[in-house]
Amino acid sequence: MAERVVVTGVGVVTPVGTDLAAFAAAVRAGRSGVSRITAFDCESFETRIAAQVGPEFDPAAYAQPPKAAKLMSRAAAFAVAAAAMARDDAALAPDAVAGDRLGVSLGAGGMGPADVDMVEGQLETVVEVVRRSGIEAFAIPSFARVYRERTNPLSMLRGLPNLAAAHVAIQHGARGPNTTVATACTAGTQAVGDGLRMIQRGEADVVLAGGADAMINPVGVLGFSMLGTLSSRNDDPPRASRPFDLERDGFVIGEGAGVVVLEREAFARARGARIWAELAGYAATCDAYRLTDERPDAEGASAAIRRCLADADIAPADVGYVNAHGTGTRMNDLMETRAIKAALGTHAQHVPVSSTKSMIGHLLAAAGAVELATSLLALRDGFLPPTINYQTPDPECDLDYVPNVARPARIGVALSNSFGFGGQNACLAIRRC
Amino acid sequence: MPGDPTVLTGGALDALVRQIIADVLVVSLERVRPEAAMGADLGAESIDYLDLLFRLEEAFGKPVQPSRWTDFLRRRLPAGNFGTSITVAVVREFAEQEAGT
Repeated sequence: MAERVVVTGVGVVTPVGTDLAAFAAAVRAGRSGVSRITAFDCESFETRIAAQVGPEFDPAAYAQPPKAAKLMSRAAAFAVAAAAMARDDAALAPDAVAGDRLGVSLGAGGMGPADVDMVEGQLETVVEVVRRSGIEAFAIPSFARVYRERTNPLSMLRGLPNLAAAHVAIQHGARGPNTTVATACTAGTQAVGDGLRMIQRGEADVVLAGGADAMINPVGVLGFSMLGTLSSRNDDPPRASRPFDLERDGFVIGEGAGVVVLEREAFARARGARIWAELAGYAATCDAYRLTDERPDAEGASAAIRRCLADADIAPADVGYVNAHGTGTRMNDLMETRAIKAALGTHAQHVPVSSTKSMIGHLLAAAGAVELATSLLALRDGFLPPTINYQTPDPECDLDYVPNVARPARIGVALSNSFGFGGQNACLAIRRC
Repeated sequence: MPGDPTVLTGGALDALVRQIIADVLVVSLERVRPEAAMGADLGAESIDYLDLLFRLEEAFGKPVQPSRWTDFLRRRLPAGNFGTSITVAVVREFAEQEAGT
């Protein structure tokens, strides 16, 4: 039997709080982190709202040496901060684990090169090319000359998605396995699942696992908006993200990071660590159907949930809470409801299901990790986080979505779902221990 | 901000080079003494020199090719352990060469 793995530390950077205590208070109070975009001038954008990490976040605060911050994308800075806070929470001293037994597994987005200042820099370069040589003469050779002259040679290093995990490893001397998962909205969940497997395979005693993303930049917002996935409820930002509600009109883009400290249970017990929960199971599947449409029968998503339960040896009736992917797009919420029913059978009607995204928006590659943190808080603190902005029931989405107000509950087992563009589905299970 | 290289001599060049090194390595100006080793004392790694050359290029308003830096090092420190032998003073010498050409 595989070695049990436990969660001993949690760190988050989110739109409703840049540390765990602030985040916990916000999800319990049902507070929205959605507002008008301030990261850039969004006036001409169809979608002008997002869930942004506030200015209180200092990207340099956790960087050692300080010059490391210069080379971090916004997402990498979130990852480094969340990892440092998770390790603090786990009270894992620098010498408590050998460097070669410490791994890193992070979900990362593919849009690092699009941090707001980098997009602006590239636009300015184009403008400069045109200013010097005229629009007729615009061509790659002249762009290359001007780009080289204006662009810091290190800027590419901010764009490589795997470097967030490298920064985390350097900060913690983590010389064990180090991986980056790039399955978009599923990445954070899969990265935690991969971290679980690293420990079960005996490759590491401790893994810093989670995800980070920061796509609230002109290219990211335009890209998702043009695909028709974003809410454009610009006149009422806190009410824009309304998963499972009949009036939902898309997701709200968010940013941030979540990292958990995973440990081999025996290792954690030997050092007297405080244990949040067992990370009891994980599974991932793919629809192999269409790029963005989910299978109408929700088979890919429900298979991920079923296999996760099997991996954890948990019966459907033991599930006390499901933290939904719950994006607030028409299709996701409908298919996810079907998937939960298919996987949990008659128990689906009795299990509370809620969407953290109603409060913090969609953190993309960080979503699964921050939502796992939400479930860990629910289990530890004895409450079900709400789905806020739930006003008008959708006849096709007929589960208990914990509408609007948190509810006290003692949970033994919680599931956390993630489904992404590409049809990639994943599910994690945590169990009280 | 392209500068006029002819004014960057003596104290002005000193100040410019020290400030650039402090900015690149994110260390306090007081630590950027002429004898300080870029690597061993101030924590420079290979990519930091690319950043440094880029900032010299901006300051001088003309290209400072990385190959000129490596040629300079080969001449100046033929047997050098770059971690300890590239000092702030060596960087300043290079800057002086580039400012003057």
